[in-house]
Amino acid sequence: MEKSLFSFIWKYSARQQIYILLVTVLSYPVVYVLLELPKLIVNDAVQGDNFPRNILGFDFDQVPYLLLLCFTFLGLVVVSNGLKFYLNVFKGRLGERMLRRLRFELFQRVLRFRLPHFRKVSSGEIIPMITSEVEDVGGFIGEAFALPAYQGGMLVVQIGFIFMQDPLLGLAAISSYPIQGYVIPYLQKRVVILSRQRVRNIRVIADKVGESITGVAEIHANDAAAWHSADISDRLYENFRIRYEIFNRKFLIKFLNNFMNQLTPFFFYLIGGYLVIEGNLSIGALLAVIAAYKDLAGPWKELLSYYQMTADVSVKYQTVVENFDPPDIHELDRLTSDEKAELSGDLKFDNVSFSGGAAGQEVMEISLTVPAGTACAIAGPDGSGRSEVLQLAAGLVSPSSGKICIGEHDLDKLTDSTLGREIAYVGGAVHVWTGTIRDNLYYGLRHRPLILPEREGEALRLYKRRVSEAKETRNPLYDLEAVWDDLEAAGADSIHTLDEKALELLEAVGLDKDIYRLGLQSRFDPSMDDTFAGKILNVRKNLADRILHEPALEGLVELWHPDRFNASANLADNLFFAVPSDPEITMDQVPEMEEVRAFLTETGLDEKLRKVGLKIAETMLELFSNVSGDSGLLGAYSFITQDEIPEFERIVRIAKSEQQRPGLTDADRSRLRGLAFKLVPARHRLGIMTDELRDEVIAARKRFLETVVKDNSAFVAFDPDVYLPPLTIEDNLLFGRARVDRRDARRRIDDVIRTIVEETGLRRPIIYAGFGYHVGVSGSRLSAGQRRRIALVRGLLKNAKITILDDIATGTTEDDKALRRGLQEILSGKTFLFGTSNADIAAEFDQRFILDQGRISDKG
Amino acid sequence: MTLETEVEALRKVPLFHGIDETKLRLLAFISDRTEYPAGERLCSQGEEGDCAFIILSGDADVLVHTPEGEKKVAQVSENSIVGEIAILCDVPRTATLVAANNMDVLTVSKDDFLKLLKEFPDISLEVMRTLALRLERTTRDLADARRGAAGG
Repeated sequence: MEKSLFSFIWKYSARQQIYILLVTVLSYPVVYVLLELPKLIVNDAVQGDNFPRNILGFDFDQVPYLLLLCFTFLGLVVVSNGLKFYLNVFKGRLGERMLRRLRFELFQRVLRFRLPHFRKVSSGEIIPMITSEVEDVGGFIGEAFALPAYQGGMLVVQIGFIFMQDPLLGLAAISSYPIQGYVIPYLQKRVVILSRQRVRNIRVIADKVGESITGVAEIHANDAAAWHSADISDRLYENFRIRYEIFNRKFLIKFLNNFMNQLTPFFFYLIGGYLVIEGNLSIGALLAVIAAYKDLAGPWKELLSYYQMTADVSVKYQTVVENFDPPDIHELDRLTSDEKAELSGDLKFDNVSFSGGAAGQEVMEISLTVPAGTACAIAGPDGSGRSEVLQLAAGLVSPSSGKICIGEHDLDKLTDSTLGREIAYVGGAVHVWTGTIRDNLYYGLRHRPLILPEREGEALRLYKRRVSEAKETRNPLYDLEAVWDDLEAAGADSIHTLDEKALELLEAVGLDKDIYRLGLQSRFDPSMDDTFAGKILNVRKNLADRILHEPALEGLVELWHPDRFNASANLADNLFFAVPSDPEITMDQVPEMEEVRAFLTETGLDEKLRKVGLKIAETMLELFSNVSGDSGLLGAYSFITQDEIPEFERIVRIAKSEQQRPGLTDADRSRLRGLAFKLVPARHRLGIMTDELRDEVIAARKRFLETVVKDNSAFVAFDPDVYLPPLTIEDNLLFGRARVDRRDARRRIDDVIRTIVEETGLRRPIIYAGFGYHVGVSGSRLSAGQRRRIALVRGLLKNAKITILDDIATGTTEDDKALRRGLQEILSGKTFLFGTSNADIAAEFDQRFILDQGRISDKG
Repeated sequence: MTLETEVEALRKVPLFHGIDETKLRLLAFISDRTEYPAGERLCSQGEEGDCAFIILSGDADVLVHTPEGEKKVAQVSENSIVGEIAILCDVPRTATLVAANNMDVLTVSKDDFLKLLKEFPDISLEVMRTLALRLERTTRDLADARRGAAGG
């Protein structure tokens, strides 16, 4: 990678830089004429005589001449500003493109790092390099050549003018330049060193902050917050110190520069004055020289700030780029090549040594052969070199000496396109990507875009633009919206067969039940699959039927019924009898929605609900007033938490004494209403839910449905015959509430749902719906065991010729034993390496190599 | 039924005899109100007990395992508390309870009941008094029984 900023800029934008320069130079005559014209207008058109003037064979009288000149002036103003605008946009675009190219290059280089290199770098340091640190480079690139050329040219012209007037004065004009030329770079050098320090310090801060976030549980568990705070605080002080020193020096440079610039007129007046007095120089010439010198200050200042900026940006560029140029970086080809060789032979280690850079990560002179299509255990405790051997076999790391071959292919010479497709490797530390379960399962099949989406009209235009920009910046042209799933590699002929295969594997690793549960909890869009929604509605009917007719189920559930109050649901559900279409909006937020508020006010319900809320608040305060906060009774049962008690005491006090000023605020009222909405009559037997209130709620519900919900896309009304997308599949199946006043109602009804789902063959679609479950940041919403098994299925789905598992399914439980048998069966006929630290487990395999301290100690 | 009616019922339970009304209301509030249709089990002998039942209406049969199968040994009815032993000491359920007819029951979970005892020592005292009385009576019955056995 280019070590210096200018060679980077020149290499990738020489043509554009020259173009910018040309346009800048072309604009110069325009600017010049623009400056000359006013003089002409004043001197010739306004004050001149001897009209008419002949221009291009036309005669102009004084007024038309004035008009002509003025309109020419106007035209030139437009042209000059237009040029400036065009040039600025061009420079900005060039800067952004170069920045994109640079950032992409940096990211691609990260991908090209060898794995051991990642022990030396941390993401906390790399991220700011790619994101913020190179930001300034973009702004600089457009100016990199044009500015010094333009301003330098101006400077030379002005200086030349002064010299032509008088060489001595010329010398005086540039007398301070050598001093400035010496002192300023000297000071700037120090600034550059400081800038480097600053950048490094900031990186450390970023890294430490990142580490604190990852290890936040450790910090609290060890009460180490003070230590980390002190650490960061120290770093921040360091940052302050460096910055303070930097701007001290920057301002010193400015000061010196201003001082020198104003010192020069001193010489002009002294030397020039003397020359004029002696009669060697005309007074007019002196004034002209002084005026020219004033014009000199502009370019000089620009050049100086350009110099400072160059120094600053260059150092930033270098401090970034030097981190992306490790000597052992992989060839670019390894990443981008799409050639796939077939790895069908025996796996052979020939005197292989490897060192991961620390004790217990070495492999010494290992030779072994695993015949193609057989299963083999690689056993050895952690630190025996087992993981290293498996990573070597997967081609993830390269041997320091010796050779690893599969068939006749040397793994070290193969590219990712072969290694990543022909070999499935699942290591002990799996990573689950932020996204859905489906994304994660099929991750191993997404090597290249396969079926491009058909675009037309606007979409096509936007796509073309995206592609041309990508070409412009040497970014890849892969289409993210294309179908990437390589069905063929997985041995599937359609996405459905792929889903089925995934499900089979999920069953084999015992993850299907978990996904089924996630599926029940997930939402799905009925417009995607009508029949599935129809089936769910059938189950709902079926279930309602059974609940109605089977004595054992009767009374376990209260179904939603438009004319009935559901005592097991809260008042909000009962009143609104609809859910917001956006599942992100919770039921608590509904009363605050504008149209709902208007409805509540209009119907006078808000006042009634406020009274209900007040009654609840009073009862709660009365019940729990003597209960201490730490008993735990308050949080679990009351509507109010311990912290809220004083707040509600105040609200109740105000509400009771009607005269008190100030009265209840809007926030207070909404809090009281909030209490009312949380009331579940069957659970909270406060005696508030009288029959009249029930009837009122039902009446209000109808009105709400009629006035607010109908024709409003923000709500979906509860309707026994309609699938409700904002609800989970489970809630759609049940379509009611398990009764809170029946023992184990929820569990019992869940059992019934499960059997009906199995009977109607809905289990599969629900699991597929579970594929759409979002696993959270790096799979944080899954357990560690689930993450491992997802990664395992991902590896198996690749259907690779060689499968390598390290420390996966190595438990001694019956489940794990069965899983291992299943794995051997699934992978029969393929090469299968199984890494474990347990020798007994290794004994389950026909072939095994036992490792100890980086050497093979036994085999069988 | 509302809290008030439940409090009325609780008042009739001997165990809660001397406890003032606000605390009974709290007890009622933190308990779950559950219905049991005839034939449904409240609990089974041998399983771990995590709650006590206060019968508001209806009756339950008390069954125990015998070599001949489950046998009814007693019936509990309105205003009695059953299963309280399980929430005071960790023993498995000593008998099975089956609703003899439609029942209305307040269920107090063990945790909540213990919290309540900790919070209001006078309830503990009352519970202790009741249990002591029961123990005294049991001891007397036992002595009587022994004497009867020895005499007879």
